[in-house]
Amino acid sequence: MRTRLASIAAVVITLMTSAAFAQPKNTLTIDLPNDAATLDPHLQWNTDSYTVYRNIFDNLLTRDVSGKIIPQIATEWDYENDTTITFRIRDDVTFQDGSKLTAEDVAFSINRIIDPTLKSPQLSQFDQIDTAEAVDPTTVKVTTKSAYPALLAQLVKLSIVPKAYVEKVGDQEFNLKPMGSGPYKLAEWKKGVETSLEAYDNYWRGRPPFENVVFRAVPDVSTRIADLKTGKADLVRDLPPDQASSIENDPNTQLLSVPTERVGYLYLNAEAGPTKDIRVRQAIAYAIDKQGLVDALLEGHGAPVNIVGAKPIFGFTEEVKGYPYDPEKAAELIKEAGAEGAAVEFLTSPSYSRALVEAIQQMLNEVGLNVEISSSDQATFLKRRQGDAENAGSLAFGAWSCACQDADGIIYPLFRSGSIWAKYKNKKYDVLVDEARSILDDEKRKQLYAQAYEILREDVPGLGLYQVYALYGAAKNLKWEPSANEAMFVMDMSWQQ
Amino acid sequence: MLNYAAQRLIQAFVAMFGVLTIVFIVMHLSGDPTLLLVPQDASAEMIAELRHQLGFDRPVWVQYLDYLYGLLHLDFGVSVVQRVPALDIVASRLPYTIQLAAGALVVAIGFGIPAGIVMATMRGSVIERILTAIVVTGQSVPTFLSGILLIFIFGVTLRWLPTSGSGEFSALIMPSIALGALSMSTFARMTRISIIDELGKDYVRAGRARGLSLGSVVVRHVLRNAAIPVITIAALEIGNLLAGAVIIETVFAWPGIGQLAIQSIQSRDFMIVQVIVLLISFVYVLTSVLADFVYALVDPRIRLVR
Repeated sequence: MRTRLASIAAVVITLMTSAAFAQPKNTLTIDLPNDAATLDPHLQWNTDSYTVYRNIFDNLLTRDVSGKIIPQIATEWDYENDTTITFRIRDDVTFQDGSKLTAEDVAFSINRIIDPTLKSPQLSQFDQIDTAEAVDPTTVKVTTKSAYPALLAQLVKLSIVPKAYVEKVGDQEFNLKPMGSGPYKLAEWKKGVETSLEAYDNYWRGRPPFENVVFRAVPDVSTRIADLKTGKADLVRDLPPDQASSIENDPNTQLLSVPTERVGYLYLNAEAGPTKDIRVRQAIAYAIDKQGLVDALLEGHGAPVNIVGAKPIFGFTEEVKGYPYDPEKAAELIKEAGAEGAAVEFLTSPSYSRALVEAIQQMLNEVGLNVEISSSDQATFLKRRQGDAENAGSLAFGAWSCACQDADGIIYPLFRSGSIWAKYKNKKYDVLVDEARSILDDEKRKQLYAQAYEILREDVPGLGLYQVYALYGAAKNLKWEPSANEAMFVMDMSWQQ
Repeated sequence: MLNYAAQRLIQAFVAMFGVLTIVFIVMHLSGDPTLLLVPQDASAEMIAELRHQLGFDRPVWVQYLDYLYGLLHLDFGVSVVQRVPALDIVASRLPYTIQLAAGALVVAIGFGIPAGIVMATMRGSVIERILTAIVVTGQSVPTFLSGILLIFIFGVTLRWLPTSGSGEFSALIMPSIALGALSMSTFARMTRISIIDELGKDYVRAGRARGLSLGSVVVRHVLRNAAIPVITIAALEIGNLLAGAVIIETVFAWPGIGQLAIQSIQSRDFMIVQVIVLLISFVYVLTSVLADFVYALVDPRIRLVR
């Protein structure tokens, strides 16, 4: 009994010492829902993976907080013609093994990700690139298959990997022991548990702000919040809006709420079911109280939108009018269409807020529809949503971001006929968005998107609901300004003095 | 004895094969990981291309035979999501699961069996009522709730224990209690019933008549006879604890195979799911075989022949 008591006491003491976090800490701990799936930046493109590996690697280009594309590894670039662009590469960048980063590495990185044998899921983001070629040690020439205005926005997502190292160790080993030119190098990767990074002291942009960074995998959001409140974690992402005020009111934590390029939208099947009738789709647009959704479910952390797109994107327009909240008009249209009591299937998965889906269901039932929610796991949801129109349900909620801040990355995949998401066909619309993605003239592109958005307003194959605000919980003394594209670069963070 | 072991092994093999086949077919019929892997703006052609590269466009039976062929060579496949051999991934998580199962078993047996004995021998007392209340609570509170409650009380409010993680011993305490609670109740109830059963038998009265105290009768004679059903439960519970910690592992960010299983199912990472299925069915079969052997050790009346 005595020994047991002693051991309990020992446990309690170790706990107290581990709980009392020393200030100032030189380790930053970030809780993510999952561990990185891969650390080879040319493989998985999911939030948890790139949140980690983009701190190990540099990108060819990046964005500032306002969303403008700015130099990173490339210092400047110019178009030789519509399909050829040359990049000047910095000559003061070294990889974490001390070797110099050259144009060869940049060209290799581009050619590697577009090589089908790598089987990269990211291939579709770069498949408009024909080839990349190192002209001299600081110049890379990239050729696209046709004029491609989204190229720079896509290259923001391209991590530069070291050619010599990748070729030496092979793809499999590179994934387990990645090495880049970024501010942090991999210290230890406990798969499924946590990824520890340590500062790369010779980083070309200066000394990284923390000695160590640890990304922990904590699947349950309540646990992530508990970690933050007890100081076990310094930063957590994707806070549910109903937890925002508890983080805001806690003396040890702060809430970071930032408008993003992500847009919450409702998809409407324009090719099958009751929503095939344009009057039903317009009725749905009238029936939804967007401000009400933002106030009640997002606790104000969002802003209603008129189009499927939010302010930070290229092509955003204020000219297109939204549908006012008018349930009577909605009920009238539904009656006119003879759709009273029509069964409308609302597809969803656990990835989307159940409360939001039910609130929309209720709003639509009030104007005479009969909305049935079909919830399935994400894989099944995607299979139906992206499959044949006949089986794709009538409605679904989504929160879309292309992380490219360009209307092309949103309304082209969502509504261009032939795209997997589109359950809508309009030739006039297709011509507009096709042209907008094949010219480089910004003014002209803006006009085309304004026209395209006007058509979408009329036809309602999708309905913009609100601009999503990213909600982060952070330790009180963490200084960081989150950006519209939801990137988490540790280099931009620091402890408040 | 050898004959018996061989027989059980064959049964085990058939059971594992059956489970594997069912899981393989059901998983493959419900979609493949391609849609979850590609960025959202991928075109239909790109998706078809990646699906082809990953081999998911082949008929299910071809993929199945291919998989079995690999198994014959002890090749358990490579995770399409992580690009690492599936066996390595599962093996790296196994120690965590074993730690947690052991912790939960300590809680379950360490509290459950003594509680059962006390409840059986001190019927009608206040202690029995308190224990009954604890046992019923352990049995009826769902683990996702008890897990969050524990975190809130001991992690956030009192700050005695870490809220999540797996690095230190203290991190094991809360998940062990949360996971062990249900098994604890099962052990307590089974122990109580078996002892009450035994207490009515002649040998107990004989012992008492010889002047032995109730306590020493229970410890020296009753426990041994009451052990058989408890061993059966223990075997089942070990299987459950190893396989069934999905929720607890998720709540406490405990990186065991339960968490891995649910994530792999969600991301349709077939190869990992299959390794886990093989492993869990193997554990179930193994524990039930072991239980048979332990019966024979504890009770010589049981012979391992059928």
